[in-house]
Amino acid sequence: MTEDRTVVLAARGVGKRFGETTALAGVSLEVRAGEVLGLVGANGAGKSTLTKILSGTEAPTSGHVEVRGRRVRLASAEQAREAGIETVHQDVDAALVPDASVAENLVLPLLVAGRLGRFPSRRRIRAEAARIAADRLPGVDLDAAVEDLGVSDRQRVLIARGLATAPSVLVLDEPTAALSVDEQRALHATVRELAAQGTAVVFITHHLGETVAVCDRVVALRDGAVAGEFAAPLDAKRLAHAILGGLEATAQRSEVATGGEVVLDVAGAQALPGGPAIELVVRRGEVLGITGLLGSGKTELLEQLAGVRPVLAGTISIDGVPFRPAHPVDAIAAGVGFVPEDRARAAELPGWSVADSLTLPDLARYRRGPLLSRRAEDRATADLIRALGVVCSGPRAAIESLSGGNRQKVVVGRWFAAGSRLLILDEPFRGVDIGARADIARLVRGAEAAATVVASSDPEEILEVADRVLVMADGGIVGEVDPRTVDAETLADLMTRAARPQETA
Amino acid sequence: MTRTAPTAPAPGEVLPPPREPGAARRSPLSRVRDAIFRYGLLILLAALVVVFAVTQPAFFTTFNLLSILLSVAVVAIVALGVTVSMSVDGFDLSVGSTVSITVMLTAASLVYWGLGPVLAVLIGLVTGTVIGLINGLLIVVARVPDMLATLGTMFVFAGGSLLITAGQSIASGSGYQGAAPKGSFTDAFTWLGQGDVLGVPVPVIVLVVVTVAVILFLVRTRSGRLLRAVGGNREAARLAGARVGRLRVLAYVISGFLAGLGGVLLAARTGRGDVNVGADYLLQAVSAALIGFAVLGANRPNAFGTVVGAIFVGVVLNGLTMLNAPYYAQDFVQGLLLVGALVVSFSALFNRKAAR
Repeated sequence: MTEDRTVVLAARGVGKRFGETTALAGVSLEVRAGEVLGLVGANGAGKSTLTKILSGTEAPTSGHVEVRGRRVRLASAEQAREAGIETVHQDVDAALVPDASVAENLVLPLLVAGRLGRFPSRRRIRAEAARIAADRLPGVDLDAAVEDLGVSDRQRVLIARGLATAPSVLVLDEPTAALSVDEQRALHATVRELAAQGTAVVFITHHLGETVAVCDRVVALRDGAVAGEFAAPLDAKRLAHAILGGLEATAQRSEVATGGEVVLDVAGAQALPGGPAIELVVRRGEVLGITGLLGSGKTELLEQLAGVRPVLAGTISIDGVPFRPAHPVDAIAAGVGFVPEDRARAAELPGWSVADSLTLPDLARYRRGPLLSRRAEDRATADLIRALGVVCSGPRAAIESLSGGNRQKVVVGRWFAAGSRLLILDEPFRGVDIGARADIARLVRGAEAAATVVASSDPEEILEVADRVLVMADGGIVGEVDPRTVDAETLADLMTRAARPQETA
Repeated sequence: MTRTAPTAPAPGEVLPPPREPGAARRSPLSRVRDAIFRYGLLILLAALVVVFAVTQPAFFTTFNLLSILLSVAVVAIVALGVTVSMSVDGFDLSVGSTVSITVMLTAASLVYWGLGPVLAVLIGLVTGTVIGLINGLLIVVARVPDMLATLGTMFVFAGGSLLITAGQSIASGSGYQGAAPKGSFTDAFTWLGQGDVLGVPVPVIVLVVVTVAVILFLVRTRSGRLLRAVGGNREAARLAGARVGRLRVLAYVISGFLAGLGGVLLAARTGRGDVNVGADYLLQAVSAALIGFAVLGANRPNAFGTVVGAIFVGVVLNGLTMLNAPYYAQDFVQGLLLVGALVVSFSALFNRKAAR
């Protein structure tokens, strides 16, 4: 039904390399006026990179972008906007001024472009804002500060602002990630309405059910390339196949360790305040996987175990000893090693060497008298670099000279260096290439001396690495699956259904 | 988000120095830039020494070189303290005032109160340390941003140094508001600033000891390593088991102690307690620490660079004085040096990391 419509935006063989890693390997796609094009893919499939290229914030290293059949170079968000492409990024707060009013935020692009004159009056701003808001923002007070609005309203403000320039293409990057079910439905309706008015919408999401509800056509990305293109009526199962590939197991599974003694015992804990009680046990040599969508509480649970945030409720013991860490120091002393979700923000030290990054949590081990022994550090880390398979020029290589996957190995490996008995890994495969992912999975699986808890929102990853998988939703454990008998599709299905029981109603 | 290229990278491809991903192969021009970034300041320092030595034979004598070191000793010691506070990603604006108040308290201990040299030195060092502790607690416990907290204490202690003497300077023989002095700047005390051991001035010896101690502390001790980790990425340091609050307080305590030590040496060198004598030391110490960023391409606070920075400024000022440049041009020249060094450190022209 969309075949006769004009192509307003096209990517022709768009590729993007970051040093030694390829984020996009020649992606071609077309967006037509009046259609909603879904863009789906797992973590690391290249959705965000493609979005950034289409919105002008990143330049492709090969291929090009066409707007209405004409080849264009989008060097900035402003140029993309002039070409009629408006993007609402996932992180809405990055595009809003929190303590300014809704009205001021709505006219921000006009203000920046100088279209309100040098000294715009309050009344002028209010009038322009009212024009932009039109009937798109019912229930939103234009004079309220943006920081007082909920996420959903902030997003509506951004979408309204994006539509003020009457763009021919609206790119929505994971717009529903932080929304409740009702808010999602409202957004879907808005998107359909825009399409009906002739706007082309690119809708990026990792929820397959959503694409079925809202998209005319879906392009699935896998490993930086187009893995399949589907037209309505859409079938979530076929999409899942395209996204996840053949589902072949990539890591050698060892026998499930059940004989080891209990290392971590959690009773009556809460992931979220007032949430359901959580019971779990992890044994030595065992890898427990925890999966769930954003907001399921898995990060909150892990951070309590690592002393990063206060323990909300219940009792925890490690090797039978009661454990209630008030600071990461307490957790480390009890033998807990924690790899946070966001490597750059919470694990890496800019400009530090591989050796210094590896020895940081357990420096006392390298002390000879009052001073640290560089030789001892270098010797220990050279061995570790070999064991971890870190590709680098040596212990003194700067961490920045390593690829993302190798940097992640360093961040995980520092806890091997510290001899941790309980490893807690939050999304350890995010931003990590497939090779390094397999290496890390092997390391984790080979950590016989330690018990491991791995959280990942990617069903394929979690099945690859874990002996047992717990599914979390709304702060509680809603199911347990055996990776030997369950495939990624079924698990993905379970995760989505668990998180949204309302949808069946 | 990413995946590996089909071929695994050979180890040789990730050799340091780190290359900006996707950057072009290194051209001769970029090699020159790299060299400027890493060695520019040291080369310039050597070149200046050669130029001054050729044009002014008196410049390159042991006596003059030691007098340059003597002239920068106090600044360099204070600057090492600034370096430690910068290492935790902090900033200590109060070091100048700390110098002032330790000078006045040390002088008052000797002259007004007649406490003798040992107690006077102790009082000076304790004063600096306590001020550092106050700064640290304001910043870590009261959560006042570092610049603002130390701006406040800068004021407080500059004012406090006036209260001690009712605004007067202290010299041997001048008692408090006309009262008879109970003591004086003893020879044992002034030896700290004016004496020498085998021809090497005592403050220079102190500087060498402090430099070695600070470098060892920051690079080779557990606390120093953790302290720099806090400065590099506070959350990463916390998750790796660093007691972030304590380490930040420690950094300001060290900064205060070293400013106090600088004050004691300054009082001993001048043999008096001059009102507000420390005011100049803030800017000079901060510039030495910042010029130090440009040494060996560190681009971050580092103790070795700080001392080189202080010596660099000393050489330039000494050489210019010998070439009969007016003394009132000194601040101007120092400012230019600072701006130049900052451009080398931060500008994308020289620093590939800054190009991001």
